[in-house]
Amino acid sequence: MRVSCLQENLAKGLSIVSRAVAARSTLPVLGNILIETDQSRLKLAATNLEIGISCWIGARVDEDGGTTVPARTFVDLINALPQGQVDMDLAVKTQTLSVRCGRFANNVKGVDKEEFPIIPKPDEHNAIHIAPDALRQMIDQVVFAAAADESRPILTGVLAKFSGKTLTLAAADGFRLSVRTTALEDGVDEPLEVIIPARALAELGRISGDQVDPISITVTPQRSQILFHLTNIDLVSQLIDGKFPDYTAIIPKATTTKTIVDTGLLLKACKAANVFAREAANIVRVNIVPGDELTPGHITIGATSAETGDNAGDLDASVTGTPIEIAFNVKYLIDVLNVAGANQVSLETSHPSAPGILRAIGDDAFTHVIMPMHIGGR
Amino acid sequence: MTRTILHIDLDAFFVSVELLDRPDLRGKPVAVGGRADQRGVIASASYEARKFGVRSAMPTRTALQLCPALILLPGRHDIYSQHSREVISMLSEITPQIEQFSIDEAFLDVTGTELRYGSADKLAHWLHDRIRNELGLPCSIGIASNKLVAKIATEQAKPNGICRVPFGQEAAFLAPLPVRALWGVGPKTAEILKSMGVETIGQIIQTRSDTLVRHFGQRGAADLIRRASGEDESPVESAQSIKQVSQETTFTRDVADVSSLRSVLLELSEHVGARLREDQLSARTIAIKIRYGDFTTFTRQTTLPQPIDLDQPIFETAWSLFEANWNRRPIRLIGVAARGLGLAARQLSLFEPRSERIDQLTRTVDQIRHRFGTQSLQRGSLIRPRKKK
Repeated sequence: MRVSCLQENLAKGLSIVSRAVAARSTLPVLGNILIETDQSRLKLAATNLEIGISCWIGARVDEDGGTTVPARTFVDLINALPQGQVDMDLAVKTQTLSVRCGRFANNVKGVDKEEFPIIPKPDEHNAIHIAPDALRQMIDQVVFAAAADESRPILTGVLAKFSGKTLTLAAADGFRLSVRTTALEDGVDEPLEVIIPARALAELGRISGDQVDPISITVTPQRSQILFHLTNIDLVSQLIDGKFPDYTAIIPKATTTKTIVDTGLLLKACKAANVFAREAANIVRVNIVPGDELTPGHITIGATSAETGDNAGDLDASVTGTPIEIAFNVKYLIDVLNVAGANQVSLETSHPSAPGILRAIGDDAFTHVIMPMHIGGR
Repeated sequence: MTRTILHIDLDAFFVSVELLDRPDLRGKPVAVGGRADQRGVIASASYEARKFGVRSAMPTRTALQLCPALILLPGRHDIYSQHSREVISMLSEITPQIEQFSIDEAFLDVTGTELRYGSADKLAHWLHDRIRNELGLPCSIGIASNKLVAKIATEQAKPNGICRVPFGQEAAFLAPLPVRALWGVGPKTAEILKSMGVETIGQIIQTRSDTLVRHFGQRGAADLIRRASGEDESPVESAQSIKQVSQETTFTRDVADVSSLRSVLLELSEHVGARLREDQLSARTIAIKIRYGDFTTFTRQTTLPQPIDLDQPIFETAWSLFEANWNRRPIRLIGVAARGLGLAARQLSLFEPRSERIDQLTRTVDQIRHRFGTQSLQRGSLIRPRKKK
């Protein structure tokens, strides 16, 4: 292999694929990045067997070929090189990759690319298409609610429901649920439900930042993998096998108190409360009082820490229904308010131990449910 | 700096409370406890009953044999708790440095209160009179430079007395007492000491330290000598400063049987859970402690994503730690601790409304045990088959 490309392009491509490199693996080659020529472009790829990312960058190919190089070494090296042209030349026999840039000459020891797993290629035939910014918003609004700990593997995934001309993503970590629906560019003939690892979607959100063309999505016929095809980037992920809990059953059908409040002000009040709440199991007490003809309704967010002190932030709100005092984990409130993406949100509640629903005003496609906290002994 | 610690112990507490309502029983052998025909045990006995040999934790049947005239009253634990709280709140007026040790005992660190209350002796007499005159309860008070000696001093002061051990006199005070009087010396340790010819605390100090090390290990021996000398650095820990809630047990014979160890861990977890809920705390970290027959000791802990205060998750966490770390050798001591304590607040679960019911069940069990005693309600797995004679 003999190939030349720009340091900036190579560094950017590496930053995209290197997130899929296996940190620790029994298969050492998974710590490497595949570099090979592909129809007068340079292909970079990495996989940890759960997700695989491939990326193509512009290059001048003088001689076809490829190898794999240790990710840390190669990424650190390329990032340290000056901007400009990088010439790479592989000595096939020794699998040593010579990397020249300006007056820097480097030799990186590689491993034969035959040892690298084959990353499946998307089949464009049955692809579903979605606008990149719509998908990114869905990912932002849903993925954070997936479980971080592995005790229930299903919940580390995000349910993706393709039905007619819509896609619905849902994630729940057992304490909160986030659901977002969006329109597809073209519909699906048959409804399809898969569970995608949250990490894969988070990576997809990260790498789709400057995408313009629709992203195409394919699920393998055995429903074991999902493939996302972007401009110059492919992301493949294993799917999680199992049944996602019926989330529609946990969204309350009716609530007794509805509070509409400015999103930014509520977020500020939560962040102020968090200063004390973080020392006290993240608890904030939310006190909601309806107004009357003369005074507006109120929502008060307060936190108390035995060590550091206490606070209360009071906001005007439009409250319909009965007064309620309910406690939440303030981190959960901050998480959802950060991504609600509307000027106003509504918080619907019924009981101190019943779920609260948070919606973005003017955007029916987003629903977030948070279970309250139970305070005190008896 | 020399500390001044008061240990206050309410004399025959349950009986004393009952006598407030039944003054006609004063001066008679009275006990609070379970009924003999239900295999009950004595929870508390008046000093008149103690003259006949009646002791707490003794089967009621035996107590009645020793003292046929014994007047037996059923326990009313909620009433006792209420009186206990009154005493604690009176003591809290003196200093916030108060550690409630059990329902009828508390430590007070009164260092530096001389200007306000005068000498420790004077303060103790004043407290003793107040508790008797205002709350109607007799108590005994021990005064010393640390908790260990103060508690033993109280034993010497009983009933209805005050005993002060001056600073510097701790070892001399302890020397003539039997080894069992020393905190932390259980039947097994006492037996080993006896086999070495050691029966009093003073003799522990006279014993060659290498002999003690052989029996109790390096740390065990050093600890024993320190306590026998009347040294104790442990602070008076008020509820706010509780760092951990723990419970441990030493076996009379080393145990290697999985199912026995499992039920002991379950029992310890229940104790820890009950204490957490009593203090309205929840724990982020669960730890276990294992001491093998040769005194090698280690602890292992794990931190959970959500704080817990229910028995079942405490036990499950402790058990998985145990399974992962036990090397199958016989165990001398086993313990469970809850750390990372915080306000008892629980994140409710979306998918498991069941956890709410377990919560309610646990609190109901707590209430029943509070009212009728710890043994009143037990898990089937913890009921040991009665030994055939």
